[in-house]
Order: sequence, then structure tokens, then C-alpha cells
Amino acid sequence: MKKIFWKSLIVVLTAALVLPGCQPKPAKSIQQAEPLPINLTDGLERSITITNPAQRIISISPPLTEMLFAVGAGGQMVGRDSYSDYPAEAKKITDVGWTYGKYNLETVVNLKPDLVLAGEITTPELVASLENLGIKVFYLNNPTNLDEMYAMLKTVGVLSGHNTEADTLVKTLQQRASALQEKIAKVTSRPTVFYELDATDPSKPYTPGSATLYTNLISLAGGENIGAKLTTAWPQISLEQLLVDDPTYIFLGDANYGTTPEIVTHRAGWQSLTAVKEGRVLPFDDNLLVRYGPRLLDGLEALAKALHPEFFK
Amino acid sequence: MLEIKDLSVDLNAEPVLRNISFTAKTGKILGIIGPNGAGKTTLLRAISGLIPIRIGNLELDSENLVDKSIIERAKLIASVPQSSSLPMAFNVWDMVMLGRTPYLNWLEQTSSQDDEIIQFSLQQTQSLDLAMRKVGELSAGEQQRVLLARALAQSTPVLLMDEPTTHLDLRYQIELLDLVQQLTRQKNLITIIVLHDLNLASRYADEMMLLEHGQIVAFGNPQKVLRDAVLSRVYQIPIHVDKKTRIPHVFPK
Amino acid sequence: MLLSIAIGSVVIPLKTVLQVLFNSRVGDAGFSTFTTIIWELRIPRTILMILAGAALAGSGSAYQGLFRNPLADPYLIGAASGAGLGAVIAITIHWPGSVFGFFVVPLAAFIGAVLTVLLVFGVSRAGKTTPVTTLILAGVAVSSFATALTSFLLINSSGELRRALVWLMGGSTLSGWMPVLGAAPYILIGLVTLLSMGHALNVLQFGDEQARQLGLRVPLFRTLIILAATLATAAAVAFTGIIGFVGLIVPHVMRNLWGGDYRRLLPLSIIGGATFLLAADILSRILLAPQELPVGIITALAGAPFFLLLLRKSKQQYW
Repeated sequence: MKKIFWKSLIVVLTAALVLPGCQPKPAKSIQQAEPLPINLTDGLERSITITNPAQRIISISPPLTEMLFAVGAGGQMVGRDSYSDYPAEAKKITDVGWTYGKYNLETVVNLKPDLVLAGEITTPELVASLENLGIKVFYLNNPTNLDEMYAMLKTVGVLSGHNTEADTLVKTLQQRASALQEKIAKVTSRPTVFYELDATDPSKPYTPGSATLYTNLISLAGGENIGAKLTTAWPQISLEQLLVDDPTYIFLGDANYGTTPEIVTHRAGWQSLTAVKEGRVLPFDDNLLVRYGPRLLDGLEALAKALHPEFFK
Repeated sequence: MLEIKDLSVDLNAEPVLRNISFTAKTGKILGIIGPNGAGKTTLLRAISGLIPIRIGNLELDSENLVDKSIIERAKLIASVPQSSSLPMAFNVWDMVMLGRTPYLNWLEQTSSQDDEIIQFSLQQTQSLDLAMRKVGELSAGEQQRVLLARALAQSTPVLLMDEPTTHLDLRYQIELLDLVQQLTRQKNLITIIVLHDLNLASRYADEMMLLEHGQIVAFGNPQKVLRDAVLSRVYQIPIHVDKKTRIPHVFPK
Repeated sequence: MLLSIAIGSVVIPLKTVLQVLFNSRVGDAGFSTFTTIIWELRIPRTILMILAGAALAGSGSAYQGLFRNPLADPYLIGAASGAGLGAVIAITIHWPGSVFGFFVVPLAAFIGAVLTVLLVFGVSRAGKTTPVTTLILAGVAVSSFATALTSFLLINSSGELRRALVWLMGGSTLSGWMPVLGAAPYILIGLVTLLSMGHALNVLQFGDEQARQLGLRVPLFRTLIILAATLATAAAVAFTGIIGFVGLIVPHVMRNLWGGDYRRLLPLSIIGGATFLLAADILSRILLAPQELPVGIITALAGAPFFLLLLRKSKQQYW
């Protein structure tokens, strides 16, 4: 799956470089499908006018960085926040810092950006401060489902002048999603899932709740998130409730931070969970689900494979 | 002169002073004696305004004091507290200067006149040489003297003192009270002192008041107040007053 | 102050800094970035740090005098926890992102701080007086309540959790001239009022009773001092977050060096606080560039050992 993704990316980039009519610049070339200027509304309900595709982009949200690279605009980036580490090329871009919501504004100004892409982690106050410095900011809300993510990709495409690549990418992703849907439509059972975000306190682990992307994707992958019945977005579930629900699968979203299935078997009270007894505690790369870019499809496919391995021989 | 009529004070709904009436004369020291809990301190606090007077009259030279503002009262009545719990790092001069508080203008600047008064007060209490020292460095006797200086700097006709000799050696007790006596005469002050020690009281008071359970049991010159029978009853130990010397002494039988 | 303007993560040669400050070479296109950095970021930040440091240290010194307690600091009667609660409430209610909306969080923090202090004040009133110990106890109780309420809101929030935590850890994310314009009036009013309270604070050192007997209207001055100090503190906290140690340590150091006369101590604390916070801020910018450390960490790391050293060295009692 990943290979297809990378291949399409390479194809897109190569096309951008090789096709006649493109001006190679220090920044990667631009192809425009939509006539400019256009007006877009950003996540803070402000109307932003785009007259030219942005050439000097700073992204202060790791998923948005991924999206920029995915649509081929990686070369137009001049700055990124400290946590943007994917793809690997992103790490070579100038770091503008991150200290509890504040970025190094001097570095930002000095980079002379023509656009700053911000996600929900950025406060409106910071957006106002940037605007006050004469910098254009486009704020994107976190997506709650795949369609919203596709829309974000398209927006990022428009902003950076890579509409075509963005559209192509979205179509590819949609195809993958539909292919998956076809398979999942045939499943006979929908196993229950507990997705662990953090279990520093093993009697009250954190899990994604209702109306989160996680719940949505788990459902698309043919499972049921037991956290979905909890009303807030990032609730703690009690171990008692977990024992009552007795999920079929346990995914360790905190595997990136060192949690292993081995550790789980030693937690007090957890041994009685069926999933623990039958070895269905699986580590999971949380970045595939929390970085809401094209990799969501990777995450979705990984979930589906884990839940319904019989369909993915 | 300071006139008190029918003063009654309740604290926490308990009666502490009842029907207190007396006059304190100008240029004279009035010594208040009595056992613990008799209400001596409460009386001083009522006069200085810390306890509001709801029943009774307080007049200074026929001027009613009860309704006066805090600032006006501070220009008329100065209190010398006991020398405990003073901020240690305070400068003596600055502390005496606080006595000028009721006279300072809105910007709280001291004038040269204020400075003169401060200096004079220090001189009168023989503590000018202590002016630049810190309060915490002084002995108890010196502290009491500079507290007196502060009260003098307040330039009031009335001076109240609550057991000023408590922490002092005998020699300093005498020195302090000699000073107070001298100043009372010189400046025509109305001085009211609560004293624990009956001997000191008999030595320095021009008039005495014996309080028991919030009421005046005896009032007048020391000879009149210091009597065997009443003292023995009030203090609940046998007391004999020696009448041979001009100043009566008190010692248990 | 010049040092603060000259230093930052983007290297600007000193000559250039001076040129920008004195407006020469204005038309030079290459300088516009430097101009922006200096005029829109560094200078306002410098001023904000000066104001906040002055406010915290001035209030701290006033509180120590008022409560006659060396551990009193501007947060004692609830300003910090109230500000945190106000900010978190504003964040979780999800104000619309209009222009006014950008000021909502600091405004809410400010109101939270002031309301909390008023509550503490009101609860401690006993007749006409507000005894000091009651104030402190009420402050502790109300602070705990506010903190608990804040935690509760955080637990029950959804996407706002991160924003709220960001505020609690690092303070407001407003930069540029906005926070300066927002905080300055309150801080200036508060500090000017406090400066006129020097004599009153001196008198209050002797206790409420002696103060009254000396002719000081104790309730009036106590109220004024608390309000002025709270105003300044709330404005500082609303825009720079909860920075500790400045209000506690600077007045002590000043007292140690120059004595306990509040007519001198207040202005000295104000100046000392401004300098201290500015120095801490400069350090926070250069130590781990381009990362910036939260200023509160620097003040704690620098302030605490320095204070301990001072305590050991001074033999005389300075309180």
C-alpha cells in the first residue's frame, strides 16, 4: 500500500519537473488548474484571498507538513515546527520551534514566509499575532472523517499551487478506501476494539471517545471502538468498564512510547481480559492515525488487516 | 481634662466594662490597677478608639470624642504599646516618624517641622543617639523609650500606656516612669497608665483607679485607693499598706 | 534593555539594531524583516517583560508588607488560580474567532483573577475588618477550589484540552504589541497606586492596632493595596502566564540590601523585578535557540539558589 503511495508521489514530482512548460525555480514548479485569485474560508471562518500559490510556506502542524509533501509542495517549505518529522526531508527544513504553543516568531519573520499553515493546535491568539506581523495565516481544523481530510488535501493543493497533484492523490486515496469498503462489507462480525492512548495509570487508561477520527476509522475498518460510548473526546475509561466490555482486540497506540504487549500482561487486573489471554494485544503506530494526512489510509488499512486478517491474504 | 461617663463595653456579648465614670486631669498621671481580667486593657482600648463606644460618653475638654474620625482621634490620643512584636529591621528614626502619620499630607511627605518634632521627641526620651539604629538591635528598655518617643511625636494631649514596664529591669522601669512623670508635668499631658505593679503605681500615680470585674471599685489619690481591706478582697491575698512612709507601700501580710 | 532588543534567535548585528531604532535606512527593503523583528517583536516583548516583572515584584513586596509574612507573594490570595480558571473557562466555552475573540482568553484570565481575589476578600470580612490570617486561609481555600474546578474542566473538555494546557504551562500566545497594550494600563495604574502606599505599609508593619492608633484608616488602605496589587498581578498573569519567584524573591533581595522601609522598598522592588524578569527572558531566548524555554523555568532555576545563597550570607536579621 505504501509503495503505491510513494510511486504516485514520485510520478507526480517527476511529472512536475519534466513536463514542458514548467519553470524550474529554487522552489519546485507550480501547475495551476484553477484560475486565481480565489477566496477561501479557513478554519477560523476568515476569508483568505489567494492571488498566487505560496512559495515560502511555513507549516506549524505535523500533519499539514505531511500533506504539503504529499501534494508535492515540500520544496516550497521554508519552515516547520519542531514536531514535523515526516517525511524525512521535512527534518531538513528550518525549525521554528515549539514551546507550549509559542513558536519562535523571530525565526518565522526572518524566513519571510508568504503563508503559514496552522492546525487546531495553534491558538487563535497566535494567528492574530502572526497577522499583526503582516504574515498570512491559513488555519485548518482537524478532520473528523476521511472526507474532511480529502478536502484539506485539496485546500493545501490550492494554496501551494498543486491542485492537480492534490486531486490525483485524493482520487488514489479514495480508491483505496473504496476497495477497503468492499472487503469490509463482507465481514460477518465486527470485533470490539480498545485503542489505548495512554496507560500511565493502568486503572484509568486514555482512549479516543465519540466523534473522533479514531472511532470513525475503526468503524470503517470493520470494528467497534468501545470508547465511542463515552461522551468526551479523550476520556479515561475505568478498568472495570474495560473488563465488562472485554474487547476482542487491544491496540497499543502508545507503542511509540515504549508500551509493549509484554508490559500489558503484567498489569494488575488486565490478565482477565480475553484479548490479553488470547494474545490479541497489538502494538500500533499511532502516527498513522493521529497525523491526519494521507497516511490515514495506511492506518486504516493496518487496522483492517489486524481486525480481519482473513480478507487480506 | 478627659471625662468618661457611664461607659459600658461588651465583648463577644459579654459585659466587660460597666458604668465607668471618671475624670483624668491635665498634667497628672492616672494609674489603673486591678487583677487580670478586670478590664484595664479594654478601658484603654475603648479610649483610644480600638473598641467602638456605644454606651457612654468620652469628652476631652468638653469635646465629644466618640464621633471623631480616626485621624482626628490620633491627633488627640497616643498609645504606647508594649514593646513586643515590633518589625526588627525598622529604623528608629523612621519608626518615630510614624507618629506624625495623622499630620502628613496626601502625598505622605514629612516637612521640616515634622523632622524637628521627631528630633525633639527623641531628645526628650534621651534616645537621639539611637536614631539610626535598627529597632531589633535595641534592648527592651530602649525599645520602650523609642515607642514613647513615637507617641510624643504624635503631639497629643492624651497619653495612654498599657503596662509599659513589663519587660524591663527595675532600673529601667524607674527610668521610664520618671521620664513619663517629668513629661506629663512639662507638657501638661493627660497620662493614663495601666500598671501591674502596685508599688510602682503608688510611687508615680497622682490618682489611681482600682478596677474589678469591669467596675470601678475605688478612685482617687493613692492613699485613698490603697487600703488593706479593699485590696485584699480584690487581689484575693492578704495585703497590708504601710502608712508610715509618705508613700504607701504594699506587701503581703 | 538595549540588550534585550539586540538579542534574539535571529542574529542582527548591533549596528543594524541601532539603525533600525533610530529609523535610518528605513527605505531599505532588506531591512524590513529586521525592522519587523525589532519593532513588532522584540521591543514590545521587552516592554511586556519589564511591565510584568515590575508588576509581580511590586505586588509581591506590597503583599509581604500587608500580610507581614515573608512568604506572601502575588498569588497568595488566589490571583494565579483564578486567572487559570478564567482562561480555561474561556477556552472551553469556545469563543468565536472574531477580533475581540483574540483578547477573550487574557480578558477572562484577568477577570478570573480579580473575581477570585474579591471573593477571598469578601469571605474574610469580619465586620469592618479583614484580619490577615483569615485572608490567607481564605486564599488557600479558594485557590484550591479554583484549581480543582480547572482540572475538572480540563478533564471534561475535548479538543480544547491542548489549548488549555498550553495556556496553563506557558501563558498567553499573543505576541507583538497587543499584550503590551492590554496589560500596560492596569499595571501602570496598579503600580502608581502602590507607590503611594509606601508610608501606609510602613505603618501597617506595626500591626492593625498600632496602625489605627497612629491614625491610619486601616481598612481603606488595606483594600486599596490589595486592589492595586491584584490589578497589576492579574494583568501580568493574563498576558505572560503564571511566572513564579519574581514576586517572592525580588522584594526579599531588595529588603536584604536596602532595608525594610516601604517608601524605598516598593520602587526598588519594581525596578528589580523588571530587571530580573527581563534578564530571565533574555536567557530563555538564547539558551536553547531556536527553542525558547518558558520564562517561569528560568526564574525558578535562577532565583531559588540565589535566594538561598543570600540567606546564608546575611547574618543579620533582615525582616
